Amino acid sequence: MSAFRWAVAAEVRKLLGLPTAWIGIVLGTLLAPVIVLLNAPYIRRSIDDGTITDTSDLGLQDLGVGLIGPMVLGVVIISSEYTNTGHDAPRARQLTATLAAVPGRLRLLAAKTTALVLVAATQAAVTAAAALTLTEALHGDRVSAPAPGRVAAAVLYWTLIALLSFAITLITRNGIVPLTFLIVNSTVVSVSYLLTKVTDAAAYLPDIVGAQMFLHTPDFPVRIAPVTAGLVMTAWIAALLTVGAALFHRRDP
Amino acid sequence: MTLLTLLHAELRKLLTLPSLRLTVLLTVAVALLLASLDAAQPVRYVQAGFLVLGVLATASEHQGGDQIRATLLAMPRRLPLYAAKVVALAAVTLPVAALVALHSTTHLTLTTLLAAAAGTLVRRAEAAVVLLLVVYYVGPLLRTTYAPDTTAVATGTLLAVAAAAYVFHRRDA
Repeated sequence: MSAFRWAVAAEVRKLLGLPTAWIGIVLGTLLAPVIVLLNAPYIRRSIDDGTITDTSDLGLQDLGVGLIGPMVLGVVIISSEYTNTGHDAPRARQLTATLAAVPGRLRLLAAKTTALVLVAATQAAVTAAAALTLTEALHGDRVSAPAPGRVAAAVLYWTLIALLSFAITLITRNGIVPLTFLIVNSTVVSVSYLLTKVTDAAAYLPDIVGAQMFLHTPDFPVRIAPVTAGLVMTAWIAALLTVGAALFHRRDP
Repeated sequence: MTLLTLLHAELRKLLTLPSLRLTVLLTVAVALLLASLDAAQPVRYVQAGFLVLGVLATASEHQGGDQIRATLLAMPRRLPLYAAKVVALAAVTLPVAALVALHSTTHLTLTTLLAAAAGTLVRRAEAAVVLLLVVYYVGPLLRTTYAPDTTAVATGTLLAVAAAAYVFHRRDA
């Protein structure tokens, strides 16, 4: 294996060795299918009395609650490097050891990014498959299965949310604040969503615009084509990652 | 150590911890932003800040250089120590809660104490915050009705603080 592949393998193992990451993996994977299951009677009634007309969003729209998974993964993969580690070494941080092993900082970031994409995309694929299979099983011919392209877009959105969380934490070097903001923002009390009520420009915030890649819900203030939405979200993340990488490259560990 | 010096020490630790100051500042800033946006039920947003406040108040002693060992060396009787921690945190939280949302002062203070108990039980700030956010923000989706009445929060807080005090009393530091 090449040196880079070793670095990626190491980052995957480090990520999967964090107890907090497992909270994100377990909750993120289970929450969406559980919501599909619990909402089933209500959804069935809504389809029968005609409240829900576009059934192709079902299953996919429930993935939102599981986003806590990629958010936790994206935050802890970097915040864990900055947490004080030892009982006996009060100022020691894992980052010191990491940089001793992989001194090229941009190379390290590339390895971390790759590891995060691998883990988050796997989780997204598993969760999407579970939520959609369950929707199919519970509602049968009432619902039309979403096109494969939209499922792929949902997996991409999930992965990009992990990268967004990673990029923000790379800049803040503290996990708690971004984690709290991101998780609260992904629930019913979303500040991003609130901003869309104030200005249409908020429709281009990364978490809002990205959802248009795979959802048809008419609740968006501005309709944006799926490909454009994906490009806007990717541009946000590329910009934040660039800032984060530049800081990481220059700052003391 | 008299009870008063104990309380004084815990208060000073809370008032001088930079991460707590930052949390309070951010929470107040978000509250102001929400007020300017005319958001419905701003408490549902800002309670996240109080969850973080509570978790950091207790979990921070267990991370980064193990401050808890020094604390226990100074005050080996753990139950009075834990009581002092709870009282001190309540005293610090009350004015902030009143400032942010006067009519929800009780709810926010109880939420902070519940989070502090979670911080003691889990001893990892990020993990405790994630679990609490799931309970507070995702939990309501799992039930048919959303009714966070004060009695339920008070009962939950009481049980959590009792469990945390027991665990703090029994577990190795």
